[in-house]
Amino acid sequence: MQTLIKILLRYGNFLVFFALEVAAFMLISMNNAFPRSSMLSTANEFVAWQHEQISNITGYFSLRTQNEKLAEENAALRNYICSMDSAKNREDIHYLNAKVVQMTTDELHNYLTINRGSKDGIVRGQGLRNEEGVVGIVRTVGHNYSVVMPIINTNTNISCRFTKNDYIGTLQWDGKDIRFALLADVASHMVVNPGDTIITSGLSPVFPEGIPVGIVESSLLKEGASYYTIKVRLHTDFKRLKYIEVVQNAHQNELEELTNGLD
Amino acid sequence: MDWTKQLGRYIVVMLLQVLLFDQLQLLGVCHPYIYILCLLMMPITLPHSVDMIIGAIIGLVMDVFCNSLGIHTAACVLLMFIRPYLIGVIVNDKDRLNEQITLRAIGMEAMIKYVIILVLIHHLTVFALGAWSWNHIGFVLLETLISGLVTISVIIGYNALKYK
Repeated sequence: MQTLIKILLRYGNFLVFFALEVAAFMLISMNNAFPRSSMLSTANEFVAWQHEQISNITGYFSLRTQNEKLAEENAALRNYICSMDSAKNREDIHYLNAKVVQMTTDELHNYLTINRGSKDGIVRGQGLRNEEGVVGIVRTVGHNYSVVMPIINTNTNISCRFTKNDYIGTLQWDGKDIRFALLADVASHMVVNPGDTIITSGLSPVFPEGIPVGIVESSLLKEGASYYTIKVRLHTDFKRLKYIEVVQNAHQNELEELTNGLD
Repeated sequence: MDWTKQLGRYIVVMLLQVLLFDQLQLLGVCHPYIYILCLLMMPITLPHSVDMIIGAIIGLVMDVFCNSLGIHTAACVLLMFIRPYLIGVIVNDKDRLNEQITLRAIGMEAMIKYVIILVLIHHLTVFALGAWSWNHIGFVLLETLISGLVTISVIIGYNALKYK
C-alpha cells in the first residue's frame, strides 16, 4: 500500500496526463463511431446561436448572389411544374426547407449546421439537397439545430448511378477540391465518357432516385486495375450554400429496420 | 496578474478566435488557433496536474466550437504536460517566474523558442489527429507550418506590444 502511494506521488502528474489523453482519444473514437451528443457539437444551442448570428451578419454581403440564386430557383421550379420530375412527385417523400447557419469547406472533415432540429422532425440519416443537387446527410440532431455531413467530408458515402445505363457506384470525396468528388466501385468493363450524368440511385432510404449529383469530368483506368477512378464535377456549389431542403422519407424507419434485420 | 484577469483575457481571446480567426477560410491551409495564447502565458504557480486539467477544459470548449470532439482536448493536454519541462530547459533565470510567462519575464530569446516549440507541437497534434491518416501527411505539415506561423506572430506580437 505504501509503495503504491509512493508510486502515485512520484508519477502522479504523468498518470493525470495519461488519463486525460485516454479520455480525449475516447472522445475522438466516439466521434467517429457513434452519433455525437448534441451538447458537444455545433448542434449545441449556444454555439449554433452564435454561428447563426455571424451568418445573419455575413448574409447581407451575399444578398445579390442569393437573389440571383432565388431567381434561378424560381425558373427551375417552373420547369419542374412543366416536366413533373419523378423524384419530386412521390407521395412518401416530403421536403422541408432549411437554412445553413454554419459551415466549413476547407477541411478534410467538413460539417455544416442547419437551423432545423428534432422539433421539425429531423432524424439522423435524412438526406439533404438543394435546387442544384445532393448536399449531404444529417449526422447529429439537436432540438433546434442539426449537424450535417456534406459530400465534401471524407467520411461520406452516397450511392449513385449513371443515367445512361443504371450502373451503380459510390460517391466519395478525396479531400482535395470541393468542386469535385470521386465515384468508386465502377468496374473496368464499363465504358465511361466525360459528360456522363450521375444521379442518386434510390437504393438507400436517404435519397429518392433521380436527384442530380454531377457530371463525369474525367475517368482513369490504371493498368491492371479492375475499378475506374472517376472524377465527378458536383452540381452543388458548396461555397455559396445557403438554403437547402431536407428529404423526409415517410418509410425511412421501416426501410432501415428491414435492412438492419439482415445483419 | 490575478485569475479574474486571466479569465477575462481568455474570454476576449476566445471571441477573437471564434468571430475572426475561425472565419478566415482564405487559403484552405490556414487555421490559426490563437486561443492557446492563454495556456502558454498562464503562470506556473499551480500544480502540474491542475494545469493539465485546465488545458483539457479549454481544449474541450474549442472542440465544441469546431465539431472536432477530443482533438483539441488531446492537443491542449499534451501542451500543458510538456510546458513546465520546456520552461525548465530554456529559461535560465527562474526567479522571475512567479507571475505569468511573458516576454518581460523570460526575455526575447527564450520566449521565441518557447512559443515556437509549443505552438508547432499543438498545431501538429490538432491537424494530424484531424486527418487521421498518413495519406495527408504533406498537407498536414503545410497546414501546421502556415497556421503555426500566424499563431506564433499573434502571440509574440501581443507580448511585444503589452509586455515589452
